[in-house]
Formats: sequence, C-alpha cells, structure tokens
Amino acid sequence: MSLLQVKELHTHLQSGGTLVKAVDGVSFTIEKGETFCLVGESGSGKSITALSIIQLLPQGISSHPAGNILFDWRKDSGSHETVEMLTLPDDKLCDIRGSRIAMIFQEPMTSLNPVYSIGEQITEALLLHHPGMSDEEARARALKAMQDVQIDKAKSRFNNYPHQLSGGQRQRVMIAMALACEPDLLIADEPTTALDVTVQAEILKLIHELQQRKGMSVLFITHDFGVVAQIAHKVGVMKQGKLVEVGETQQVLRQPKHSYTRKLLAAVPDNLPRRDTQPTDTNTLETLISVKDLDVFFPIRKGLLQRVTDYVRAVDGVSLDIKKGKVVALVGESGSGKTTLGRAILQLQRPTTGSVKMLDTELVGLNNKELRPWRRHLQIAFQDPQSSLNPRLLIATALTEPMKVHGIGESDEERIELAADVLESVQLKREFLWRYPHEFSGGQRQRIGLARALALNPEFIVCDEITSALDVSVQAEILELLLDIRKQRDLTLLFITHNISVVEYLSDETVVMKQGKIVEQGATADVCGNPQQAYTKKLIAAVPRL
Amino acid sequence: MNKARKKGETFTHRILRLSFAGWGAKIGLAWVALLALLAVFAPFIANSMPLLASENGKITAPVLHFLSIEDIVVLAAFFILVTLFLSPLRQSLKTLLLTFVILIVGVTIISKQLIVEKQNIVYTEFREQIAANKYDWVVMPPIPYAPRDYLRDARRPPLQAPLADKQYLHWMGTEENGGDVLSRMIHASRIALGIGFLATGIAMVIGVILGGLMGYFSGVVDILGMRLVEIFESIPTLFLLLTFVAFFGRSIYIMMVIIGLTSWSGYARYIRAEFLRLRKQDFVQATIASGLPLRSILFRHMLPNGVAPLLVGVSFGVASAILAEATLSFLGLGLVDSPSWGQMLNQAVKSSVFNWWMAVFPGGAIFMTVFAYNLMGEALRDAIDPQLAKKAGVVT
Repeated sequence: MSLLQVKELHTHLQSGGTLVKAVDGVSFTIEKGETFCLVGESGSGKSITALSIIQLLPQGISSHPAGNILFDWRKDSGSHETVEMLTLPDDKLCDIRGSRIAMIFQEPMTSLNPVYSIGEQITEALLLHHPGMSDEEARARALKAMQDVQIDKAKSRFNNYPHQLSGGQRQRVMIAMALACEPDLLIADEPTTALDVTVQAEILKLIHELQQRKGMSVLFITHDFGVVAQIAHKVGVMKQGKLVEVGETQQVLRQPKHSYTRKLLAAVPDNLPRRDTQPTDTNTLETLISVKDLDVFFPIRKGLLQRVTDYVRAVDGVSLDIKKGKVVALVGESGSGKTTLGRAILQLQRPTTGSVKMLDTELVGLNNKELRPWRRHLQIAFQDPQSSLNPRLLIATALTEPMKVHGIGESDEERIELAADVLESVQLKREFLWRYPHEFSGGQRQRIGLARALALNPEFIVCDEITSALDVSVQAEILELLLDIRKQRDLTLLFITHNISVVEYLSDETVVMKQGKIVEQGATADVCGNPQQAYTKKLIAAVPRL
Repeated sequence: MNKARKKGETFTHRILRLSFAGWGAKIGLAWVALLALLAVFAPFIANSMPLLASENGKITAPVLHFLSIEDIVVLAAFFILVTLFLSPLRQSLKTLLLTFVILIVGVTIISKQLIVEKQNIVYTEFREQIAANKYDWVVMPPIPYAPRDYLRDARRPPLQAPLADKQYLHWMGTEENGGDVLSRMIHASRIALGIGFLATGIAMVIGVILGGLMGYFSGVVDILGMRLVEIFESIPTLFLLLTFVAFFGRSIYIMMVIIGLTSWSGYARYIRAEFLRLRKQDFVQATIASGLPLRSILFRHMLPNGVAPLLVGVSFGVASAILAEATLSFLGLGLVDSPSWGQMLNQAVKSSVFNWWMAVFPGGAIFMTVFAYNLMGEALRDAIDPQLAKKAGVVT
C-alpha cells in the first residue's frame, strides 16, 4: 500500500462568476520514504493540488467534482487505515493534519506568529496533537526538534521571537514545527524560493537528511528544475491543472517525453543555446561608467533625540569600471547591496561619498536640474512587474512623457510613432500603447518596463532582477530579447541578479558583492568557472544544477 | 480593440460605478442634487415677487429685475457647468476646470460692473399691487414669500404654525418675525452647500500640496510638515472662528476660509501616508530616472494612485464643514440677516415657547445633508477597498 494515492483529482475554484479548473485530472502515488516533486510554472495548479491533499482550501469556493485522495493513516495505536481525504469528517482531518501530514509554506516571514516565541509555537503544535504530554516533555521535544533542524544554540533561541531570526532560520523553525510530531508525509510548498541560494542549499540538505533519518515521504513543490534534480526521486510536471508527465527524476530530466517538459527544460538558463562570444580586448574599450570608492550609508537613529549611533553600510567603498558595450552582472545574496549600488550609480539613491563618472562627467553632487540631461542616458528596469508601471496611465503616456521632457520627437504624433516602434522592438504589438498595465501578463509588463527604459534611447541600463519574478520560460524569452536589443543598440548593461545560471548565460563580466563590498570581479568565465575567493566558491557550489 | 477599451475602464469610472451601485450612495446623491437645484434656483422657487407679470399688456419679470449679484453668479456657474459637462468637446479635466474658473471670475466682474443691487426691497408692495389688480395676470413662484419678507404688516401674530393661516399659506410655518420657514430653508441651502464645497476645497488643495511634499521628500521636510500639522490640529476651529468673527465681522466667506485653513491637516496626513508608500514604488523611481519634473511626478504619477483615501475623507469633511457653520450660527455668531439652518435652530431655542416647526425642519435638513455626504463617503470607501467591496456585495 502506497502512503498517498491521488487518483484523477479534480479541483474547481469559484472565482467571481467563473469556474476555474485549477486541478484537472491529476493522478500520482507517493511511496513511503520517497520524495515526489511537483514542478510547473505559476498558475499550473501545483499548490492547489497540495492544498487539496491536506484539505486546506476554503470550503465555500472550492469543490472536488471527481477523484480520490487515499492516505494510509497510521493511528497512534499503530494500526493502519486507508482514508479518503476528500470526504473525511473535520475532526479526523484535524487528527491527521499536523501529526501525520505536515505542511511548510513559501514565505517564512509571514507563516510564523510574530507575538509568540518560536519555542512556544513548536510546543503548542506538540501539545495539540499529544494531549497527554506534559509541559516539560513537550518543551524537551521542541528543543530536540530545533536541534534536529540545526538551529545554532537552540536553547538560547528557544525564547526568541520570529523577528529576531533570519529568513533561513525561520524556515528551519517552520520545518521543526512540521516535523515535531513526526509526520509520515511532509508537504513543502516552495520552501526555498524566498531564500538565498546558500541558505536554500542548507535547507534542501536538511530536508534530505531528516527524510533519511525519519523515513518520511515528501511532496515537494517547486518551479526550479535545479532543485528537482537535487532532491527528487520522482517528478511530476504540471501544466494548466494537468499532470503532463510523471516519472523517475533522471528519466524525466534526461529523456523528457512530453513536449512541454522539453520546452521547460530548454528554457533553463543552463540549457539555453550559448551565444557566440567575441572576446574583445577590454583595454581598448572606452570606460562608460566609472565608480570609485562609493559609499552609501543609512544612518541608524536611536534614543529620544534620534542621535545617529551607527550606519548601515549598504555600499561600502565600491570601485568598478564598466566598459562600453559590456554586460556586467552584479551578483550577491539578499542584503548584499546590489540594488543600492545600482540605484546609487543612477543617482536615484544619493551616495554618501565617492564618485560616479559617466564619460568623465562627475554625477555625484549634481542637483536634479543638472542631472536631467544625463537621465536620458542612464535608465533602469525593475524586478516587480506589478509595481513597475503606473496603474493609472496608458502605456502610451508612460512611454511618451519622458520623451517629451527630453525633447525627443517633434510632435505628440511623432512621439506616439516612436513609442510604437519601441514596443515593437521588445516584440509587443503597436496597439498595446492604448492599454492599461493591468491588462498585461507579468512577462509582457517586464517587456513594457524595458520599453520604457529604451524609449529615451539610453546608453546604459541597470536591469534590477528583471527576470526574478518570472517563470522560467518567460525568463528565457526576456533574456534572449535583452541580448538582441543589446546587439542592435550597442547598449551597456548592469545586470543585477542572484541567479548564477543567468549570469553565466548573459554576462561578459561578473562582480560578486557581499555585505556592501565587492568580493571578486572579473570575466564571467573566470569568476564562475574558477572562483578565487571562498565566498564565491561557496555561492557557486550552492547553485542547484540539473 | 473594442473589448480592450471596455476592459480598460479607468479607475475613476470603476470606483464611481461601484460606489453608486448601492442604494445608500444613490439616496445621498439624490439629496445633494436636490439641494443643489434648490440652491441654484432659490430666487425662482421662493420669492415674494411675481415670476412674470403683465402690466397693461407689457410683460415684465420682476424676479429677474431684482436678482442679486450672488444669484447671477450662482446661476451662471450652474449653466456653465451643465454646458461644459454636456459639451461634445472631450477636454481634459484640467482644461474644463480652468475654463470654468475663468468664466466664473469673468461673470462676477461683469455683474459687479453692470448690476446695481437694489437695497431695501419692500416685498409688501408686490402683494398690494396684486391685490389692487394692477397686473392683468401674474405667475407667482411656488412659494410666494422671500426669505426676508417678514410680513410685518399682515396684522396677525408673526409666529404661525404650519398651515395655520388660510390667507397666507406657510407650508412650514413662520419664524418670530413672520418670515416663511420653507423659503428661508431653501435659500439657506446655498450656504450649506457653498460652505461644504469651498471650505473642503481649500482644505483639500492645501492638504494635497503639503502632504504630497511631506510624503515625497520625507526627512526634514516631513518632520517640519508634521509639526505644522500638529500645530494646526491643536487649534480648535470653533474658537478660532469666534475670534475671527469678533475681529472681522460676520462674513460667510471668511468663515469658509477659516474652516478650510484649519481642517487641511487630516487630508495632509492621508496624502503623506500614501506618498510615503508610493515613493519607493518602482514606477515612481522610473519617473525619477527618466528625469521628469517634480510637478509631473507628484501630481500626475503619484497623486492619482494615492487619492483614494482622500476622496473618502473629503466627503466626510464636507459634512463637518456644514456642521461647523451650523454650530456657529446656532451660537448666534453666524450671518446677521441671511438665513442659515443653524441660525434657524438658534431662533427655535431662543423664543419663549418651543415652536417645533422651527427646530424640526432645519434640524432635519442638517441631519439629512450630513447623512447624505456620509452615505456617499462610505460607499466610496467601500468601493475603493476591494475587501470591503466584496463584503458589501457590490463587486461584480
């Protein structure tokens, strides 16, 4: 008997007046001690499948017109009973949830209650499922669970509150909570997506170890094929509510049968066709942007009089030369100061000290009026497709207004024409000018964001994590587009990212940042292929590869 | 394309559609629209002189002859507004507003030059002339009493309950000088609406500009601005108004300005909070990176995205401005001769016996108006907040 059998599961969601077939005939089985990965792009129904299994979908809007979810329920007495999760009464579901099936979520910042200490939260979960357990015993087991997930100094951390822990530690606490009752099935819904790559590597290793030790099964949901390759025994690929391919991990990744799986795998940056690199002598190239000893400090104020007691050194003595026509990748983990450096170069964030020169003109210290002529040469594209476009303005307005300010185009009609041309250059239709941002998908919005940056015909664009919020196939399209545009327009790019695979695909040079300082910089092939610094080595080793 | 346009319903349209889908906002709007019509056409609805009269075959319109400058400006404003609204020229809101203001100022100056206001109109003359059959025929307004027509010579006790006097029919009775209560109430709706709109308008403009600058620049500007807000919040409007009335005499316009000048702090706080949130948004950063001028960043890119809570605050602000004026008039510090609802309430209390009709009608009008604005404000708030909109069941 398998631990979990999902047979022809259908889950329909009521959204407004329309019925969404979120899960449409999905079947798979999970054996004891096995890791099953569900992989797919956003909106493919991975999470809904998981929530259907644990029955956490809101009653009012969800329905299961067909299908079975059979779970092998190991009772406390030791006997086994196969139960149908879809029709199980609530009190029995409560017995199973938490104690036999546990779930961890993506966002470690919001899945812990901020007003209770982490020890209390783990203890509470234990006491709930073991009413007979004494307080001391529960505390001891909670402590043990924290040690199991390798939280340093677990004893002193016991009474800490969630805000005192880092994202990775919080995710460990979530895992400790989930595992405290020793479940048979752990459902992990993108547990590492919000974490840095080195932390992700640790968490994945932890889950793997715990699984080996306790013999539990894991249903792991992810969009990252690298993660799949690392941990999964079996993998299921989902597309629009359907499971298009299921199989052993190696088989699916090496010999994908379904065309969609092949398409997804081909879109992984590691697998993208390498472009022909023409090694030019960097010394002969003109230096477009020259950053020297740049500091960006944010004061920390304390006490009644708001005295400045210390500084957050977001960018700390950075020097960097960007040659004309090069793609420079800026990598680092969250909080390393990548974004602040990018914005400080554009003077969106005024630097504390240091110098930023563009073609021998000092930009630091110029006031807004003096900066304006330079603005058109220095543009930026953003990460979040939701907030990067003004929701109240037509695309046409968003593209033509900057042109008007900088005197590009003679008349409004001419500017509209130019804007339409820019839209075409990012492979969008001209008619899209007359739409509002909410009418576009995430990938389209990123293209429009790029179009806005290109509208002023700049020489230098800072791309701030522009593909991080996108699905892998859309990411591949945007990356290819970026390379095309760069070739056509002779652009210089500063590409800020945390994704090493993207760096390897796209960039000529790589700069690695840690805690506001540059750790290593050089040609991408050297930095990624033969890292010299310990931090760079650790960073590159942590990247999950296919 | 057609579908896209329909789908691309602007934010403003969607909010308005949602707000006025429920019955609450519709009732509120209907009441305010009724008040607005009464206010605009007050001289034609309640007046002691004939609308049209034929004197020896010559047709005259005494009402038009005796219109005051204020009447003319209000009428002009109404007709300009209607024309602009119905005009096929789809201009931007800014141009429409500018045309409107220019036209209004023009009309005011011209009427000041051309029209001599008639002082001391003797309303009884008209009644005597009609009684003496001086006219071949007359068309009287629906309520044949001017607000300041005090029927002193009617040889009867001036205070009359509604419908008590068969010779002089008063639907809502008369006050202690014999003035018709209904007529006074209709004319007073002008003050109620005017003070609501003008005072709130002044407060909104100041609040948006100061709040916007505070939110956008934050830092020192914000700290200074917030202190200014706190200073203004610590001034009790009512006492400031009392002081100003004592110094500058009783003028409705000064009252409007004072109420406006002291009530902007709430709007400034709303806008500041919204701008603090918006300034870190990527699209605002993009406008800075594009080198757009500050005016465009603040008012074109940020304001429309942060205006939602302000609109709600404004509809409540209008109500509280009306209440402030009513309070002042009730305390006897309002206008001397022009009727206002608060002043009428004051009269009701002052007289030795309690005359219910002098309290119920103006009190009811104040209640209804404040209620109407609050209904609209609440509907607007629900429509803007998607979660509330779902609860209220107005979301499609």
